Amino acid sequence: MKFKDYYEILGVSRTATSDEIKKAYRKLAHQYHPDISKDPAGEEKFKEIGEAYATLKDSEKRAAYDALGSHPSGQEFRPPPNWSGSQGGQSYSFDDIDLSDLFANFAGRRQGPHQGGHRPMPGQDYELAVQISLEDAYHGAMVDLNFTVPEYDNQGQLKRVAHTFKARIPKGVSHGQKLLLRGKGGKGANGGKNGNLYLNISFIAHPLFRVAEHDLLIDLPVTVWEATLGATVKVPTLDGPVNLKIPAGMNSGKKLRIKGHGLPKQNQAHGDLFAVLQIVVTPNPSEQEVALMKQLADISSFNPRTHFGLDTTNEK
Amino acid sequence: MKNNDAELLWLDEHHEVTASELLELSGLSAEELEWLVETGALNPIRCVPAAVTQQSQAWCFSGQCLVAIRTVSRLKRDFDLAPDALSLTLVLLERIRVLEQQLLQNNSQA
Repeated sequence: MKFKDYYEILGVSRTATSDEIKKAYRKLAHQYHPDISKDPAGEEKFKEIGEAYATLKDSEKRAAYDALGSHPSGQEFRPPPNWSGSQGGQSYSFDDIDLSDLFANFAGRRQGPHQGGHRPMPGQDYELAVQISLEDAYHGAMVDLNFTVPEYDNQGQLKRVAHTFKARIPKGVSHGQKLLLRGKGGKGANGGKNGNLYLNISFIAHPLFRVAEHDLLIDLPVTVWEATLGATVKVPTLDGPVNLKIPAGMNSGKKLRIKGHGLPKQNQAHGDLFAVLQIVVTPNPSEQEVALMKQLADISSFNPRTHFGLDTTNEK
Repeated sequence: MKNNDAELLWLDEHHEVTASELLELSGLSAEELEWLVETGALNPIRCVPAAVTQQSQAWCFSGQCLVAIRTVSRLKRDFDLAPDALSLTLVLLERIRVLEQQLLQNNSQA
């Protein structure tokens, strides 16, 4: 087991009063609490802070922690023989557990010599961020979930166990969807309920499609003549390419709806795919193309800027 | 490695959670839940009729609210939030959720 210096984590001395410990905790909690902090490392940091505080705020746990002695942070150590925290019927394989597991279990064991270690303890809840592709959102997908949880084995020993299981992400999830897998969190002990697993679903950005709830948008580049004359073009969808008829006289920004080719909804219906027209000019026009454009410019009297109300006689 | 569909719960506006589920999943007390409803920070979407005697236990909520309720429950635990702070936090969290959703929407339309 690796040693963690709870005093150092809270930035207080080993002789700090409980008031000083509480103050130090609150200050750090404001800074790192994952529900308020934008710091991506905040969650891990707050876990440490919370763990340190949970042990040091409780005089009994603090005494047991102090009895472990002082070691450099991260150094492997074992509690001394007859350490108060290890009385009460639980045995440990100290190699596989975390210091926090030792103290989390402490409260359950000090109920008295007879109940010690047998109070039902619910398993912990876990939250996992799950990123899926739009293709997976479209078809539904099986994902592998991996996380480690502290668990008791058959001998009543506490160990950190890697959990891996497959979960089906159903069709119909949206970006930001929260799902709950009941009983799939940490295992409960002594008849306590298993914890739950919360999944935060997000979509991996797609090179072609943007997501608006269950609708999808795709930029559709078209030539000047396609936009002017109309055309039928192939457009990719998550379900394979479709032919899209572009009516004549379409401007940039015009959205053409491809019905039912968006993401699936929970009720089996689908959102729509919108092709957003973008008129693109020829990047390296040939001489002939330039000549034809000049010819068009000469014969056309179209002015898209009449609403400016300016005198255009001198424009070239 | 088995499929776990039976235990899958969607936490969104298309699904509902009962008051007892909400209490079990969030760790809030029944009094705290009643306070949130009383102050208007949380609105039940309907009441299950007659079957249950206690008013608060007959409530059903949008599955979506569980996420925010769990957050306020955590904040209460970690900061000792007073009841007023609990309901204010919930209201502000909901406002942030709506704004973030609008922002996401605007960005994808752009």
